[in-house]
Amino acid sequence: MSETSAQEFLRKAAVKSADLVHRDIIRQGIESYDAAHLRGRLRFRDWDAARQKCREIKQEAINHLDKYLLQFEEKVRARGGHVFWAANAQEACQYVTDIARRLGVRTVVKSKSMVTEEIHLSPALEKLDIKVWETDLGEFIVQLRNEPPYHIVTPAMHLNRAQIADLFHEKLGERIPGNDPTKLVALARRRLRQSFFSAEMGISGANFIVADSGVIAISTNEGNGRLCTSVPRIHVVVTGIEKVLPRLEDLAVFWPVLATSGTGQAITTYSTLIGGPRQAGEADGPDEFHVVLVDNGRSRLLADAEQREVLHCIRCGACLNTCPVYRSVGGHTYGTTYQGPIGSVLTPHLAGLRQYQHLSYASSLCGACTSVCPVKIDLHHHLLHNRRNAVNSRGSKLGERMMFRLWRSTMLHPRIFVFLSSAGRRLLRLLYRMGLAGSIVDPMRAWNRYRSPVPLPAESFRSRWRKGLAG
Amino acid sequence: MPVENPSRELILERIRAGLRTPVAPHPGPRSDAVIFEPIRNPLERFQQESTANLMECTLTSDPAGAALQLGKILDSLPAGEIFLQDDPSLRRLIELTKTQRPLRWSSEGAPREASEATVSLAEALIAQTGSVLVTAECGGRGASIVAPCHIVYAHAAQLVPDLETALGNLFRSGKLVRNSFACVISGSSRTADIEKILVQGAHGPRRLVVILQTGR
Repeated sequence: MSETSAQEFLRKAAVKSADLVHRDIIRQGIESYDAAHLRGRLRFRDWDAARQKCREIKQEAINHLDKYLLQFEEKVRARGGHVFWAANAQEACQYVTDIARRLGVRTVVKSKSMVTEEIHLSPALEKLDIKVWETDLGEFIVQLRNEPPYHIVTPAMHLNRAQIADLFHEKLGERIPGNDPTKLVALARRRLRQSFFSAEMGISGANFIVADSGVIAISTNEGNGRLCTSVPRIHVVVTGIEKVLPRLEDLAVFWPVLATSGTGQAITTYSTLIGGPRQAGEADGPDEFHVVLVDNGRSRLLADAEQREVLHCIRCGACLNTCPVYRSVGGHTYGTTYQGPIGSVLTPHLAGLRQYQHLSYASSLCGACTSVCPVKIDLHHHLLHNRRNAVNSRGSKLGERMMFRLWRSTMLHPRIFVFLSSAGRRLLRLLYRMGLAGSIVDPMRAWNRYRSPVPLPAESFRSRWRKGLAG
Repeated sequence: MPVENPSRELILERIRAGLRTPVAPHPGPRSDAVIFEPIRNPLERFQQESTANLMECTLTSDPAGAALQLGKILDSLPAGEIFLQDDPSLRRLIELTKTQRPLRWSSEGAPREASEATVSLAEALIAQTGSVLVTAECGGRGASIVAPCHIVYAHAAQLVPDLETALGNLFRSGKLVRNSFACVISGSSRTADIEKILVQGAHGPRRLVVILQTGR
């Protein structure tokens, strides 16, 4: 029988959390992010007011989504751009591959876009024998490794410079002495530069789509997004319908908030606005401009008033960085496009509750994610909502129901409680004495397998209470 | 070529149906608080922030001084073509430098891949983030990204205190209706994708220089 997603998660989590090299790389990466993020927050007079403002703006945008999307579409069309609405991944891929086929595209340069990962656009283009280059350095690295992104903001966070130097040596045929990051970047720059200037099509995502101006906003540091959208003669934007902001001026708070939460910067190096193909009198720019608005489950999430705010997410990655589970098991363990707390909340809606309900349990419910979210999504409560919805939709297992019934009557009847807890203590003491802690017969196996057993108290809390603990 | 798009109505209908169930208002306070410190001295702030962004900012008092600065920067670069935004003020400026380099103007098309530097004007300078705002009118899209060095000739009167003012002006001026492109540039191209170590000059310019003229 093939492994379920939940079994795969547990297997990979066990391997990754015991991988000390991996843990060290992640610890260093996240420690440096934490320091930058804290410094970045100090640049705001009132960080919490900024989060509240972002929340209010996104709430307004999502609650008038139809109006703002239509406004955006009208403005893009006025500049000669095309807007295509895709109900699902297949429609979105079909539209892009049709353009590529119609215009004889042989090479595509892509800037980072999680929505294109979600809809598996690159494999769809590669089926047509089109060469697709990921041009964000982190994405380029994971593409060479034939891996999905490890993190929604820093896709190659799980690799150190030595591993990247080995990869470049193997795949690009050049050895960088001393694994110098500057030289590694220069090598990638040289290789990708050829593709920027030979590609017929550039594909980007959008961090925001702005309704009142009919522009998309892209934030990049490397400038690869700038080249992808400037040099090739076709530019295709693939983005989710929820990325709308009502007004251009909203970016005055969203740009700094996204940069601070994403990397700790005051603002991303290139905060770009694009609203169409090259206009009359402009020196350069693509001849064709297409925006693909992807639904793919988002309108279903919108209909769930309790969880609608999940659509406020700006994909900054802050909840991943702070999550103790993500830090231990790493991004690939999730087996999803979006990892970490937001991924665990979102994926069951986009890809099916039945297959991904286990992700709601990949959390200690500590609430760290909620406390850092720049648009104040109540992430850990949404994990609880997903747990409840999963139980309601599939019903619970017989064993689970029986256990809860037993637990309920135990908690309601003090005598049964006393009897069972005393019997339990005796049984455990006996097992531990026999050296069976953590073995298959140990009821505490899940804990004791990897740890020394918690010492058992000599007497119960009840009896200590009776003896005067209260005084 | 118009493409049939039956999903357009379907998605809009799903959105409208979904929104019929209202969400409960969020318990948090409505935010009217001041988010950023007000900026008292835009020039000083711009200089601080642009330095933090690893840009070079040189102040000059008049066009002759600006030409001197530009000449010095061009002298420091390897031999090769310079791409310029075709604007009368830049034609005058480059003439003053007496440079012998091959020049290509934005009226002739996009910058060539092998350009050594690009020279453009800006729409505004933003003090809050030490940024340069450009649109397609500033020599096109490639003018600020293709060459390893981008030089911006700007005037102190173009300084605005913050992003909100810059974006508000951009919207109200109607520039975004006429231009297909605008960009807030805050430093040279960079990446930290390898072990979070900052490396300058990823795909765009390694150097971003602002020649800021304070007098007429």
